[in-house]
Amino acid sequence: MMLLLYFILVLILSVLLLLVRGKALNTVIKILFLAGQTALSAYAFLHPGEQDSLYFKFDTIGTLLSLVLTVLSFATFYHSELYIARHPSTLRKDGFYYASLFLLIAAMTGAYFADHLAVMWISIEATTVFVAILIYHEKNKTALEASWKYLFVSSIGVALAFMGILFLSAIASEKGVSNLGFGPLLSIAPLMDPLWLKIIFLLVLTGFSAKMGVAPLHTVTVDAHTAAPSPVSAFISTALMNVGFLGIFRVYTILVHSECRPWANALLMLTGLISITLSAIQLLRIRHFKRMFAFSSLEHMGIVILALSLGRVGAYAAILHLVFHSFVKAGLFYQIGQAHSIFHSYWIKDAGNYMKINPAGSLVMILGFISITAMPPSGLFISEFLVFKALFSAHHVVAAVYVLLLLCIILYVFATHLFKLLYSDETRNTGPGQIKLNGFETVSQFILFALVIYLGFFPPEFFTGLIRSAITLIP
Amino acid sequence: MSHVLILLYAVTLIYFALAERVAKFIVLLSIQGVLLFFIALDNLISIHVLGLILILLETLIVKAMVIPWFLRRIRKSNNLKRVHESAIPVFYSLIIVALILVGSFFVSNALNSQSIRVRFFTVALTSVLSGIYFIIIHKNIFSHLVGYLIIENGVFLLSLAVGSEMPFMVSLAVLFDIVIGILVIGVFINHVGNTFQSTHINRLAQLKD
Repeated sequence: MMLLLYFILVLILSVLLLLVRGKALNTVIKILFLAGQTALSAYAFLHPGEQDSLYFKFDTIGTLLSLVLTVLSFATFYHSELYIARHPSTLRKDGFYYASLFLLIAAMTGAYFADHLAVMWISIEATTVFVAILIYHEKNKTALEASWKYLFVSSIGVALAFMGILFLSAIASEKGVSNLGFGPLLSIAPLMDPLWLKIIFLLVLTGFSAKMGVAPLHTVTVDAHTAAPSPVSAFISTALMNVGFLGIFRVYTILVHSECRPWANALLMLTGLISITLSAIQLLRIRHFKRMFAFSSLEHMGIVILALSLGRVGAYAAILHLVFHSFVKAGLFYQIGQAHSIFHSYWIKDAGNYMKINPAGSLVMILGFISITAMPPSGLFISEFLVFKALFSAHHVVAAVYVLLLLCIILYVFATHLFKLLYSDETRNTGPGQIKLNGFETVSQFILFALVIYLGFFPPEFFTGLIRSAITLIP
Repeated sequence: MSHVLILLYAVTLIYFALAERVAKFIVLLSIQGVLLFFIALDNLISIHVLGLILILLETLIVKAMVIPWFLRRIRKSNNLKRVHESAIPVFYSLIIVALILVGSFFVSNALNSQSIRVRFFTVALTSVLSGIYFIIIHKNIFSHLVGYLIIENGVFLLSLAVGSEMPFMVSLAVLFDIVIGILVIGVFINHVGNTFQSTHINRLAQLKD
């Protein structure tokens, strides 16, 4: 009943936010929401494997991603406060922003814990609407275009995924399973018709690629980042991509128990390679910081999907990479949001001399650069190392060398543009004057980066235990 | 009975390729909603009150009445009458939709599975593919929404073709999700119309590197 109570609480708090017109009361509502979110994640962690509210289950991968979401929620709420304070706003507009954020977080939580394919689909579809509303927060032309594209393409993508789920329900009922729960589906996986399973996986992978931000429907996510407020971009690029990953992962775990496993692995590897290639090509002509981070997410999700195709070691690396990428990318998006309040632009040509203007923020950028390009001591170094180890062990030498080359290009692009931001003297002030930033605003970003180093090099037992337990479904 | 209805549904898909008036698109979507109601009624595996209510709600109320009413409002507020912007002449579109229908028939037969009903599956697949084709050839976001609704109707028909039965609450939530999605898409079309003074897709081309 915990999740049902949680959903009711979120609904009540969202309605209250829209009705209440007091700053202090709004703050209390936000604190209550964060408390509820934390309590739910803690409950899930303490009750592993427990069924809840008919269609949900606190399984390990759901719990892990929900813990990541909770950590990011705190940071996103804090940076949303800063964002709203620095942009023209009204209490009504703020209320709408936070109500959408509450509902988005609840929909993502629902997707993480759903133990029924259709319920997971419902949660994922729900995220589309709330993300579109959040992208449109600034209500300008770019935001409108990005929201429209996101809403429309995601809806088509998710409809394709629904077709896959319908087919799965049909072939499952042929084998006597009328329940779309993951447990019963796994038990009949070896008996299912391989041709149908392939069609299903193709549809689900294509459909949820819009959420995970991998090829072929990655473009909407990139456009969404460009227009969304930075704290929302941080969410789209992390927790929401994790939702897309989970949708694909759940169906993949069914396929690996059938004779389609080699085919599914080949498809995942191809998707990963195409995503990383597209990311490197687009990054070479990048002119916008947020789009640069967005294409970097395409690269990292490409690595995750590639890793998933490499057996158990790869799956472990994939989940590890997913968690680390979430923390690092969120930190970078928060920081670029702060840089925006100085330069009033996300265009690379407009920014420079950041080291002098905001030393604390520059340090975040340097640490972020080291972390996102997977240099030691970043945790992403560990996960990428495991991915390459799995690639070489599986004798995919050509693919490994090809990915390494692309990563070098991406590293070069990141270094060029971020160091231009830090040290270049060419600055065009495009806004109404600079805002003095408080160095303490960067604390949350340092914490996120430190967390990635800590979890990478000194992983606590509970953390590795959660990942190991999540990959037991992969033989 | 079902076969006649399913053929009529296929005819509406061909008619979509012919129509140029926006009002006609809306009427066709209404007709599809009514046809889907009778097809679903004729194919009920077992008579449950809740199941009947859901079908009634999903097809006759939502697909045949609420959505067309909502589309009519959007059409009026954006002053949309005729679509002239289709990239391909009507005659070719007619041939392409007919080819999609024939192709879907062969695919359905090639799948050779006991779990699907070939006639239903053929028309459902045609609906999904012609919905995608409809989106590709039109350059107006209102027409894109119509294309999306054709896909949604195809997915509904697909659920009948594969005999998929989901729990009542789950089906209700799926329906609710889709309706909310369509309403939000509609609201955004109005915003686009007001902001850009047009719902032509060329106006939405600012986001690039």
